[in-house]
Amino acid sequence: MDLFPQFLANGLVMGVFYALSALGLTLIFGLMRVVNFAHGEFYMLGGVSGWFVTNHLGLDFFSGLIVVAAFMAAVGWLVDRFLIERVRGQGEEPGILLTIGLSIFLVNGTLLLVGPAPMKVAGAMAEGPLFFGPIAVTKLRLLAVAVGIALIVGAHLLIRRTRLGAAMRATFQDPMAASLAGIRTGHVYAATFALGCTLAALSGMLLASIYSAQASVGGLISLKSFVVVILGGMGSFAGAIAGGLLLGVAEAMWGGYVSMGMVDVIGFVLVILILLFRPQGLFSIRTERA
Amino acid sequence: MRNVVLGGLLLTGVAASVPAQAQDTVRIGLVQPLTGSVAYNGKSVVEGARLAVEDMNAAGGVLGKKIELIVEDGQCTPANSVNAVEKLVQKDKVVTLVGAFCSSATAAIMPVAQKYKLPLITGVSSKASLTEQGNPYFFRAAETDALMAEAFAKILANDLKLTKVAYIGVNDDWGRGGVEEFSRDLTALGVKTVLTEYFDHGATDFFTLLTKLRAAKPDGVFVAAETQDGSILVKQIREMGLDTKVFGVGSWATADFINLTGEAAEGIHAAVPYASSMDTPRNQAFVQKYQAKYGIKPGKYGAAGYNALNIAGQAIARAGGTDAEAIRASLAKTSYEAPNGVYKFTDKGQAYGFEAVLVRIEKGEPKVIASTPVDAPH
Repeated sequence: MDLFPQFLANGLVMGVFYALSALGLTLIFGLMRVVNFAHGEFYMLGGVSGWFVTNHLGLDFFSGLIVVAAFMAAVGWLVDRFLIERVRGQGEEPGILLTIGLSIFLVNGTLLLVGPAPMKVAGAMAEGPLFFGPIAVTKLRLLAVAVGIALIVGAHLLIRRTRLGAAMRATFQDPMAASLAGIRTGHVYAATFALGCTLAALSGMLLASIYSAQASVGGLISLKSFVVVILGGMGSFAGAIAGGLLLGVAEAMWGGYVSMGMVDVIGFVLVILILLFRPQGLFSIRTERA
Repeated sequence: MRNVVLGGLLLTGVAASVPAQAQDTVRIGLVQPLTGSVAYNGKSVVEGARLAVEDMNAAGGVLGKKIELIVEDGQCTPANSVNAVEKLVQKDKVVTLVGAFCSSATAAIMPVAQKYKLPLITGVSSKASLTEQGNPYFFRAAETDALMAEAFAKILANDLKLTKVAYIGVNDDWGRGGVEEFSRDLTALGVKTVLTEYFDHGATDFFTLLTKLRAAKPDGVFVAAETQDGSILVKQIREMGLDTKVFGVGSWATADFINLTGEAAEGIHAAVPYASSMDTPRNQAFVQKYQAKYGIKPGKYGAAGYNALNIAGQAIARAGGTDAEAIRASLAKTSYEAPNGVYKFTDKGQAYGFEAVLVRIEKGEPKVIASTPVDAPH
């Protein structure tokens, strides 16, 4: 039992990390209904460009974070205007194929440009342990948790409290009515996609400073993010947090008390259970799209 | 479907009836993972291989011709590696094959090499059973985990004063093999096992595993992991505030590993078949050339590529022609002076005689603390 506090702490930290890396997908898959298989690659690009700006441009961590955010917002905007736009309103399959293709392109483009080696993003602070009684964490992890929570709250407020947020909600509920009401839906789609990309990339850079950035990390991130979004409920930020924490704690307990080797199975077991007993997810707002 | 089969037969027939056109180079085919999760290590093998070919060509090549290295991506998967070999044999008409990286991929291309009667050398794949399949065309210029464990178990147990050890390995053939071999040899020396755990490739967070490790209170932890997983794991061992001794197998004594791991790498031990700090004139010359060309010191896989290509090139030169049978016969008589000792092959094609080293990482450099020749397996 004396291991329990540390397992719980590990699970909660991982849970916030999962919620953070799934945020972008909550927007793009949850709200826009684009089944975005390139999500993990946007995350990966965040880590790799974070490595580039801190190692090659010599920026400190936080300035680097801002540059990466601006760069990835532009990438997201362009991807939506030039690629996603072309398959909008044609059902889900074209979008799935498009984003699978995009993810293959992004991985191999990155391999070509920077190679397959793992890259280190210089962290914001030192990496030594901090002890709270029997629990060990690091400053960097606490910082990532804090930034993660700030981003989640920020994104939630943006959607709920701003004009842009209102326009987004209107557009995704009924694009035709929204455009009749004078909302420039094309811009709203692009802005949402850009925001989703930026969130994915920010979490990628933040977590790359704790782990490492590498061209091939995207696949696992995509899978776990889909798990989090489905657990929490489509398009719900509270759901993303709950889904992330649930996944993090479940993995930590399973890994701790049963076996590490099969830990990645847990997420999918949870998804199967949720789909059987509460298919709308833990927190979904029960509205169907027009 | 029948048309496809017929077409295939026709093509094979045509290919067989056209006499191999006189080539002005001697072609060697190399299959390595250039994309996928171990692409990074595969690339090091290719770098070492290119350096070996450059060396041999600068010295006049073999059989009076230049050597041409043709590299194909096998992605570490059996299917893609087999495709790569078919292409190298059918289209490029290589005279010898080198590859593939992962043991499962190598196991898949071994029967293909045998079908075409072409010698196949691997410088990496370490699964013990590969050389036990009675494939006369297969040669392994690499250590196996069993050989490493046998060579170093005693030194480790004595030098690190181990009494209770935890074992952590990546969840595949290689990781499980490494953990099993080392735990068997260490247990035989009276070292107790307190924890055995496996993690999946690409895992990033080890805090849960390390919590269990902390509770088990070992005085040493054995790790079988490659560069990326291993560096993150070692970093997190220190982040958890654990000061247990760390030792392991994998590509640890490399500049990249040390760079990624940072200060946390200080004082860890690694049993490796090659380290850039090995103190022989031949190795110093190799390190200098490698560093001049790639700007980084060679690691285990760079050396593996370099050695495998040199072994292939010298065998072809000794064979006096590109006849596969002659090359195979001369491979069996290999006595190649590598940067890390002399490579010879047993009847089953397993290399022995080269030096393996135990290194400790001190001030960001792998320092050799023990060295022992790898004996032929009994």
